[in-house]
Amino acid sequence: MIELFTSRKLITFFLISAVVLVALFWLFDTIKDSFDRIVRDNHRQLVNVVVEAAPREEEDIENWVRMVNREFTEADIIYVRGVPGWDELEIYTHNDRLKAFFEQHRDTPDFKSGFDSVYYLENYYSRLDYSFDGKRVSVVLSPLITEMRDDLTGFLVFLMSAEAGKNFSRLLDIFMIGSFAAFVTIYFISKFFRDPVMGFIILGLFVMVGVFVAYPLFEAVRLTFISEGQFSMATWKTILSSRHYLEALWGSIRLGIMTASFATVIGFIFAFLITRTSVKGKKFLSTMGILPVISPPFSLSLSLILLFGSNGLITKQLLGWQDFTIYGLGGLTAVQTIGMFPIAFMTLSGVLQAIDSTLEEASLDLNGSRWKTFSRVTFPLAVPGVLSSWLLVFTNSLADFANPLLLGGSYRVLSVEAYIEVTGRNRLGHGAALSLLLLLPTLTAFLVQRFWVSRKSYVTVTGKPSTRLSDLVSRPVKYVMLSFVVLLTVFILGLYGTIVAGCFVENWGIDYSFSLRNISEALQRGRAAIVDTFTLSAIATPIAGLIAMMAALVLVRKKFVGKRLLEGLILAPFAIPGTLIGIAFILAFNKPPLILVGTGAIIVINYIIRELPVGVEGGVATLRQIDPAIEEAANDLGADTPTVFRTIVLPLIRPAFISGMSYTFVRSMTAVSAVIFLISARWYHMTVLIYNFSENIRFGLASVLSTTLIIIVFATFGIMRLLVRKSEHLEKSVSF
Amino acid sequence: MSKASVPVRIDRVTKVFKDVRGKADVIAVNDASFEISPGELVTLLGPSGCGKTTTLRMIGGFELPTRGRIFVANEDITNLPANKRDTATVFQSYGLFPHMNVFDNVAYGLKLRKLPGKQIKEKVMNTLGLVGLRDLAERSPGKLSGGQQQRVALARSLIVEPSVLLLDEPLSNLDALLREQMRVEIKRIQKSLGITTIYVTHDRVEAMSLSDRIIVMKDGLIRQIGSPDNIYEDPNSKFVAGFVGKVAFFPVEVLNIDSTCTVEFNGTKHELSKFSEDLQVGDKAVIMARPESLKLLEPTKGIIEGQVNTNIYLGGSLESFVTTEQGEILVQIDNPAEKKIFAEGEKVSIGIIPNLVKVLPDKDE
Ligand SMILES: Nc1ncnc2c1ncn2[C@@H]1O[C@H](COP(=O)(O)OP(=O)(O)OP(=O)(O)O)[C@@H](O)[C@H]1O
Ligand SMILES: [Mg+2]
Repeated sequence: MIELFTSRKLITFFLISAVVLVALFWLFDTIKDSFDRIVRDNHRQLVNVVVEAAPREEEDIENWVRMVNREFTEADIIYVRGVPGWDELEIYTHNDRLKAFFEQHRDTPDFKSGFDSVYYLENYYSRLDYSFDGKRVSVVLSPLITEMRDDLTGFLVFLMSAEAGKNFSRLLDIFMIGSFAAFVTIYFISKFFRDPVMGFIILGLFVMVGVFVAYPLFEAVRLTFISEGQFSMATWKTILSSRHYLEALWGSIRLGIMTASFATVIGFIFAFLITRTSVKGKKFLSTMGILPVISPPFSLSLSLILLFGSNGLITKQLLGWQDFTIYGLGGLTAVQTIGMFPIAFMTLSGVLQAIDSTLEEASLDLNGSRWKTFSRVTFPLAVPGVLSSWLLVFTNSLADFANPLLLGGSYRVLSVEAYIEVTGRNRLGHGAALSLLLLLPTLTAFLVQRFWVSRKSYVTVTGKPSTRLSDLVSRPVKYVMLSFVVLLTVFILGLYGTIVAGCFVENWGIDYSFSLRNISEALQRGRAAIVDTFTLSAIATPIAGLIAMMAALVLVRKKFVGKRLLEGLILAPFAIPGTLIGIAFILAFNKPPLILVGTGAIIVINYIIRELPVGVEGGVATLRQIDPAIEEAANDLGADTPTVFRTIVLPLIRPAFISGMSYTFVRSMTAVSAVIFLISARWYHMTVLIYNFSENIRFGLASVLSTTLIIIVFATFGIMRLLVRKSEHLEKSVSF
Repeated sequence: MSKASVPVRIDRVTKVFKDVRGKADVIAVNDASFEISPGELVTLLGPSGCGKTTTLRMIGGFELPTRGRIFVANEDITNLPANKRDTATVFQSYGLFPHMNVFDNVAYGLKLRKLPGKQIKEKVMNTLGLVGLRDLAERSPGKLSGGQQQRVALARSLIVEPSVLLLDEPLSNLDALLREQMRVEIKRIQKSLGITTIYVTHDRVEAMSLSDRIIVMKDGLIRQIGSPDNIYEDPNSKFVAGFVGKVAFFPVEVLNIDSTCTVEFNGTKHELSKFSEDLQVGDKAVIMARPESLKLLEPTKGIIEGQVNTNIYLGGSLESFVTTEQGEILVQIDNPAEKKIFAEGEKVSIGIIPNLVKVLPDKDE
């Protein structure tokens, strides 16, 4: 998309860039200079104030110096008695390191010229930078005259912090380079791109993922290799050698394996029942099979606690068990399995649908028994799908934060451990390292999926599933499976029912009488959080939707250098555990040049970055089905890129746009793993409040908020369905 | 809709598609130059993948040439984006806007130009009238037949009064009958508007019947430019000869070249007036003969012996398929009523009509 270079254009480009560079350099140098001058004036004033206040009696000076050193944090002072060049110099200081500093430098030319100035009763401001206690300092020598001699008795050495000045000038350098780079790229794009708008969009996307994906992750990785300002492997050594942390790693993996296995089995049964047998109510069953995936975080755990917790309805009230605990691996596996089997179900029903059932029929016709057909034909064909669904659930389980936080008890997993390191022990480096460790199994799973499973997937998509769907299992087996699925469904509905019931009960576990008290209290105490969460999500939603569609357009339709990289960075947050993103965000944005921690913006940005991948994938899938000639025709008729986007692309990919936005909204409202690091006193989050209520055993309040979230989620998806259905006629006519 | 017709020129244009992994580049168009006069209809003709679409897309502004310049109305538009060019493209797949009805599709270009609504309505209805779709203005494009869609696409392009109309195989999705009708239609509209038109096709009949001139391409190279009869009767290579019509080649050796070309075939010398300029004495060459430049003679009277395989009567002419040692050769006999007819199975000899055949270098097919 870059047009041909002509030498005249190139020369103008370089000339103007050079002029701008010089101008910028001059500008920033002037700023630096005047800042330097201000700093030096400050130093001068400080020196004058201190020297003027010096006692006139020589014997008082020592005490006075000690006092000054205590009072003034801006400077360290050494008192040196004696006239340089004439007397033996005696050094008075409370601090041995100061003394050592003086001894170390007294023979340097700089100090020598300082001594000369002092001899002529003049202050000496050194132009050099020294380092003291690992900090940059400037040195000032100032003569002292006392009454006794009425002449030079000695001098003071001021060590004044130059740290601020250094930081400031480094910041200025960053700004200068940054603004020059920005100017050059923008100028380059508008001069050499045939379609500057598209150029700017691509540039914008690069900047976005660079600043909000690559940079935070880089900071997180960097921090794990730094201790006390220096490169060090200390953090990793601690983490990899401590039983405590390794136990958490193993805990995560063990939980992942359990959840993935159970969820895949359940998902398979659901999918099999729906695609390979003739049961009634398939529609209802598949809705039930998807339902739990949209349950807000904490809600299933909360419900499990209400039923089976130490004060649970079933365990305590009904069964009277004493030493049963839902907290730990068992409870976690249960709650994750229920929450995540829909992932397996959706993957597997896609896979099973794609397997041509004529193959099975052929096997049955050849007098293969049903079991043989299943074990020799259907299952082998589904194996790659089973593996990828297992891996998908596995990574999801590892990344899960909310359930282990609430239901983990003494069972440790990495995501929660990282959170505790950061918020409880204030060890960000450890937190970052732990969450990076979490990325390891995720990446492995991803690579296995990408390079092994997908290569093995010989699922033959040979057209439509046959209409003649004979049952692949015998009646008894079918009914066993069906009853299992129905039981599970009832249990899931029961869990939801429990949460709703929790809203209307006076005090769960103790007093089950009907009450509306919880509702009013929760809504009152949670109002700010509800409003915040809603506002921030509502802000993020359209932005993320639009960016996702633009990114999809760019990725599908444009050719440019670095497209793969851009795609990778946009999609990466999908695979990165929220805990890592959260920690990376606080690391990157609590310092210049971008200070965002504590603002609502950082939460909005976090939503956008994390939900973009799904929106982009949706947009890409839809755009691939749309004939590029449609956009070209509009362009040909005179529409520029923004107009084509607005009048053609957006209406055509409306379904993807709407579902991408609803998805973003719902996921933002129910976010927790990253957001929990980013909330502040000003901006709170509903999910975190649910957690706080649960932690304080205010289950009633937690139930109310959970129910609110569930209602919001359902309402959003309902509205989305309505909107998408309205534009369904479009989809069909998109590609002729 | 009257606007001065403009010329189009492309000057040494090359387009290289970089392969995604940067290994094998595709040279889609190789150093192509041609000039189109104002109001002319020129076809780009060639086999699949020869770079016709790419050439057209560069003129339309959808691809940038790797090298070379493009001029419309004598202005260099090489770097102008599509939306700023005074060209209009009718895409092979039409690219109709599926979320707009026929009226809005056609009105799209005018709405972008911010014309008042009344004027838009008037113009759209006029243009729809021109392509005979006045009654279907409210339909959605998904509910139109292929021919109707094609006409909507044409109307949508014409309404913005482009200086240059670019058509990429506009009729390839239509059935044979409709194709013939639309061909006439397009030619009529094009002539009545005097709009400079480039038409891409791989159908030689379409090219022959439509064009003022034909540009024959192969593997990214322009092989010949000329009027339909010129290309048909006077091709410059075996490829062009074979691509634009039925043809028989007789391998010969060039004996002498002056104002005529003397060649030897089967031991007999022939002095022929039409020959390729690339030829030199001693070259291997072929005599290129169209079915109508051949005649059937009594055995041993012609240049090659054979046996009539099939006769097909086409009213005004007769096509005889003759099996020879050079393979099956088609001979077309005009006004068969006046000529001697050889029945199927009879031995014959094929003769050439010397001033209708041409000697071509024996290179490529
Ligand atoms: N966007 C592209 N990227 C890479 N190669 C391309 C691209 N477009 C075309 N090509 C290649 O360039 C060559 C010419 O393509 P072009 O579409 O111009 O052919 P064509 O003459 O229009 O053929 P057809 O009659 O099949 O439409 C082909 O080899 C094609 O594969
Ligand atoms: Mg083509």
